[in-house]
Amino acid sequence: MKFLATRVLSILAAIGFSFLVQKLAEGQDSFTQQLLVLASLYVTLSVSLNLINGITGQFSIGHAAFYQVGAYAAAYCGTAFYPNWHGSPVVWLLLMLVVGGIVAAIAGFIVGLPSLRLKGDYLAVVTMGFGEIVRIVVQNQKVLGESGGLSVHPHLQQIWVVVLLAILCIALCRNLQITAHGLPFLAVREDEVASAAMGVNVTKTKVIAFVLGSGFAGAAGAAYALQLGAINPDLFRMDQSFIILTMVVLGGTGSVTGSVLAALLLFYIPEKMRDLSDVRLSVLVSILISVGFAVAAVRYVINNVHKPIKVRAAYYAGITAVTAVVITILGKILQLVPAFQTSVEGGKLRLVVFAGVLIVLMLIRPEGIFAHHEFSWDWLLSPLKKKRTKLPGVSA
Amino acid sequence: MLSRNGGFSRLALSALAIGLLMGCSSGGDKAATGSPSGTTTTSSDPKPAGGGTRPQPTAPVVTASGDSIKVGIVASLSGDNKPWGDDSYEGAKLAVKEINDKGGIQGKKIELIVQDDASTAQGAKTAADKLLSQGVLTIIGEVSSSCTIQIANSAFEKNVPVVAIGATKTDLTDIGANVFRVCYSDAFQGPVMAKFAYEELGLRNVALMTDNKQAYSQGLSASFKTSFESLGGKIVDEQKYDTGQTQFGGQLTELKSKNPDGIFMSGYFTEVGPIAQQARAAGINAKFLGGDGWDSEKLLDSGGTAIVGGFFCNHYNNKESRPIVKEFLTKWGKAHNGQAPTTTMGALGYDAAALALDAISRAAKLDSGAIIKALDSTTNFHGVSGDITLQGQNGTPLKQALVVEVRPRSEGFQVFRKAYSPDQVK
Amino acid sequence: MLDLAPHLLAGLEISTLPQQLVTGLLIGTIYALVALGYTMVYGVLKLINFAHGEVFMLGAYAALLISWSLGYTPGNSLEHGSWMALILMLIGAMIVCALIGMIIERLAYRPMRNQARIASLITAIGVSLFLQYGGQIFLLNGTPQNIDPKVSPFYSSDPTVGNIQLTIKGPNKELLAKADQMSSLVDKAKTDYEAELKLEGGDEFNLQPKGKELRDLYRKEQRDLESAKNDANKGAILVNLPKGQVFMLGSVLIIMVGLTWLVMFTRQGRAMRAVSLDFDSASLMGINVNAVVTFTFALGSSLAGAGAMMAATFQSGTKIDTFFGVLPGVKAFVAAVLGGIGNIPGAVLGGILMGLAENLVVWAGYGGYKDAIAFVILIAILLFKPGGLLGSAKVEKV
Repeated sequence: MKFLATRVLSILAAIGFSFLVQKLAEGQDSFTQQLLVLASLYVTLSVSLNLINGITGQFSIGHAAFYQVGAYAAAYCGTAFYPNWHGSPVVWLLLMLVVGGIVAAIAGFIVGLPSLRLKGDYLAVVTMGFGEIVRIVVQNQKVLGESGGLSVHPHLQQIWVVVLLAILCIALCRNLQITAHGLPFLAVREDEVASAAMGVNVTKTKVIAFVLGSGFAGAAGAAYALQLGAINPDLFRMDQSFIILTMVVLGGTGSVTGSVLAALLLFYIPEKMRDLSDVRLSVLVSILISVGFAVAAVRYVINNVHKPIKVRAAYYAGITAVTAVVITILGKILQLVPAFQTSVEGGKLRLVVFAGVLIVLMLIRPEGIFAHHEFSWDWLLSPLKKKRTKLPGVSA
Repeated sequence: MLSRNGGFSRLALSALAIGLLMGCSSGGDKAATGSPSGTTTTSSDPKPAGGGTRPQPTAPVVTASGDSIKVGIVASLSGDNKPWGDDSYEGAKLAVKEINDKGGIQGKKIELIVQDDASTAQGAKTAADKLLSQGVLTIIGEVSSSCTIQIANSAFEKNVPVVAIGATKTDLTDIGANVFRVCYSDAFQGPVMAKFAYEELGLRNVALMTDNKQAYSQGLSASFKTSFESLGGKIVDEQKYDTGQTQFGGQLTELKSKNPDGIFMSGYFTEVGPIAQQARAAGINAKFLGGDGWDSEKLLDSGGTAIVGGFFCNHYNNKESRPIVKEFLTKWGKAHNGQAPTTTMGALGYDAAALALDAISRAAKLDSGAIIKALDSTTNFHGVSGDITLQGQNGTPLKQALVVEVRPRSEGFQVFRKAYSPDQVK
Repeated sequence: MLDLAPHLLAGLEISTLPQQLVTGLLIGTIYALVALGYTMVYGVLKLINFAHGEVFMLGAYAALLISWSLGYTPGNSLEHGSWMALILMLIGAMIVCALIGMIIERLAYRPMRNQARIASLITAIGVSLFLQYGGQIFLLNGTPQNIDPKVSPFYSSDPTVGNIQLTIKGPNKELLAKADQMSSLVDKAKTDYEAELKLEGGDEFNLQPKGKELRDLYRKEQRDLESAKNDANKGAILVNLPKGQVFMLGSVLIIMVGLTWLVMFTRQGRAMRAVSLDFDSASLMGINVNAVVTFTFALGSSLAGAGAMMAATFQSGTKIDTFFGVLPGVKAFVAAVLGGIGNIPGAVLGGILMGLAENLVVWAGYGGYKDAIAFVILIAILLFKPGGLLGSAKVEKV
């Protein structure tokens, strides 16, 4: 009974949460709403890629392809069938999520099959190639609008739907990690041969991972298409796949929490940069140089200083302070050089900063922010308890 | 984080089911933002721009607040379209500075807020939303059609006017009554070049080179093809390439075997230059023709002597004798060490901003709805790129197009050959 | 539903095939040069150096700036090319790229060496994005530029001077003679038209009906002449070889011979092969692994620099911007995998096959799928011969 109650409660909580977000967002401006939608979509994408890359240990770098397949499926259906649709647009949206998901899942099945033969880098190349092929084929189809893309009918933004989709995806992956259903996936990741010997159907497991992961990406794509109103192949370029992959790795491969947080972080930084006004070149160069040295210093501390965490934290704080001072002084000095006196529009720096953050984070924490760990309340509560209690169940 | 011991599949299914049910019950009132976006995109038959009535935005208007008037511009300050984005932004800055130096509008200074879209449609959508959340009264931009569609959709929901700079996609302005542009559409540009090629150059067998990655190029090729064939000419071959390609030998070999007497290259100058050089090197003697994507003096660097003698369709000409052109070039030169803008988007960006500011000063009230009305009633606005009339035109101005010939720098890059007014190409 | 076969019925033009193969071979050599860089780095470190395309891009910029400093500036370039300039640009681009490759390795990859491979992959992606978008601020403001083709001594705007023309099978002499007879008609039409043009005031874009009629006649005669010539050439097999690209092919061959010698017959090369075979054992054998890795990066990057310089110089007018390396980078990477990644002759073979395949696709009438074919071939190869064409297919099971 308790089992059932917990489950119903969690479902209700998830739905309640989605509607709460929707209600809160309705009071906000369209920019905030747009950010919220995109953030949820990226969470879905990164968590679903994590299912393939992190949990099952395959190496897929073409996730944008499934995203695109879902988006185009929804857009095409909208053009072809929506005019004859008499139901509510919201039901159509949910229907499109399912359609996009299924079409992308079929694509995932097709890509998943070769994964039986290939491993590691080779699989990566195949998935990347698949992504490009999808984009180029779409670009050449008259019915899909060639490179001009398609208008999507209806043009519909429902925040609760994308939030719920993200929660669904998170719940699925989390439950895979901690239930018996997920054991084969983890086993395949750790050792294919050993798990095959133990009776795990490796083939089936891999294909399921691909189908589920791409299905969610496709559903996200459908939601994306409907909320954007017009799509084109350029939205699903290779760098889109790279960004999703980066979210997974940066968060910590295999960690659902990490994927979620990294997705939010990587999405948030460039958008936040929009508010940046003009930056002087001198400041830019001094930041570049100082951060370089700061990273070197942090790496030195990580590798050579074996002291309690509190001491190391003090070191890090010190490095940060020194860096800030150096940036200020160096900036002032460079300002004297005429070549550095020009300024750069803040907007142009968005992707540079994105790349910079990526490199710096990988250099100082290559295993990802969360590594293999998951968020748990124990961590927050641990200072209060004398001994850490170990979680039951399988840990990732 | 959620259910720690539930079967995932059942969780997923039931959540979806409940979602569906709730969607049904609450669907009606929350059907939300449904804005009409342009019709399905690749209409190969160019219909006259803005045929029929455009949907009216219904959202409450945005009113000016504070002691400045906020005007937004979305520009590709990074990414593939950077050269055009930079120029359009610089042009708009000039126009705004000019008004501010004169004391602004109704005593209020103009505040131009720029947002980068990194040359992507998604970027344009977020950029436009950001500008709208900052309370801009008008959005200027973009240079590319796929970005402008997103801006127009977002602005439609907020009842804010959009003045597009170089977006020539034919059905773009059908998105809503808030969408305007300062350039002509592909439905005009393609026929102009077709007519010029057929009647003035006497070409009959033309081949197309289309940039498959640019909707602009695909649209322009299609519109050229339709009108050239309807004039009685023949399209002997169509070859495709992608932006960023550097070696066109393959496509040119095929073109050569079809023996065209003209090649219509609808892409941007960055690829047109190398295509022209490689075509001449391959022994192709056909005449080269193109659209406004050719307009940059850089074409002479990348196209060398091969591109000289090619013809393209332009919005205006730096060498025109109209005083406003000279004035604009002087102003631009002052701001940029005496240089002229490298692309037409400088002048079009200037025109878009000047037109928007003109409409703001003419508007009955300082709110977005009144500005839309003022824009829609524009008659004979003197722009650098020609006189702009929007009244009764559904957002796309009646403007003449110039056909110019590419000449060496010593002769001034582009030399005017023939002007076409809209009623000449119907 | 899919527009996959618009041209199938149009039939294939056999006469253009030899030219297509030659063009494919020439472009393939560039892919091969870049692919070598991927393959050597992969061989030594098992790392896919995603920033290699950006090294290629920076090489093109280096060549561009050197050509400018030698006086081939846009707008008022020197008129005549020089060997000296070509060689300076080539060497300059190679040195700049070697340095950049070494810096990237030292700053971004070496710290990651003991981490999971995917972590270095992400760093590589970061470096690549950083160079692409940072370049838009620091490299000539990101405005597209191009190297003046006149820098090359082989350049000529006259195709008969700038090309080596090979005639494998001559045109039909009878038809050609017939076509030659027609040229007098063209001349006559031309004289008529020009006389009328003069009469009407010389404005060829605002002709009177009679002028138009004569001009159209002149054009028609021209067209007839061209199509008669074309008919005569139908069965002929003629190949145009741009001299610059022949030079490029020659340089690539020399570079490859040099590379083979370096890898097979020098101490440094032996060290590279040892590290490639077994990283840890090599270090135990007293090989300075770091030095070898640095050397590999320098070597691979300088090859990319050479490729970039040639691609930007001998394909006249090629656009150079900060995304210059993206497409060649990806294709070269595919070429490396195609040939068997880690395998040096494989990279060359893969690059050339890639160039050929692309041009064959255009030949068959599917120009829009030119960029997709690389990946189609790749997937096919990997499914049937996972190690690549020349690679040893290692089955990665215990």
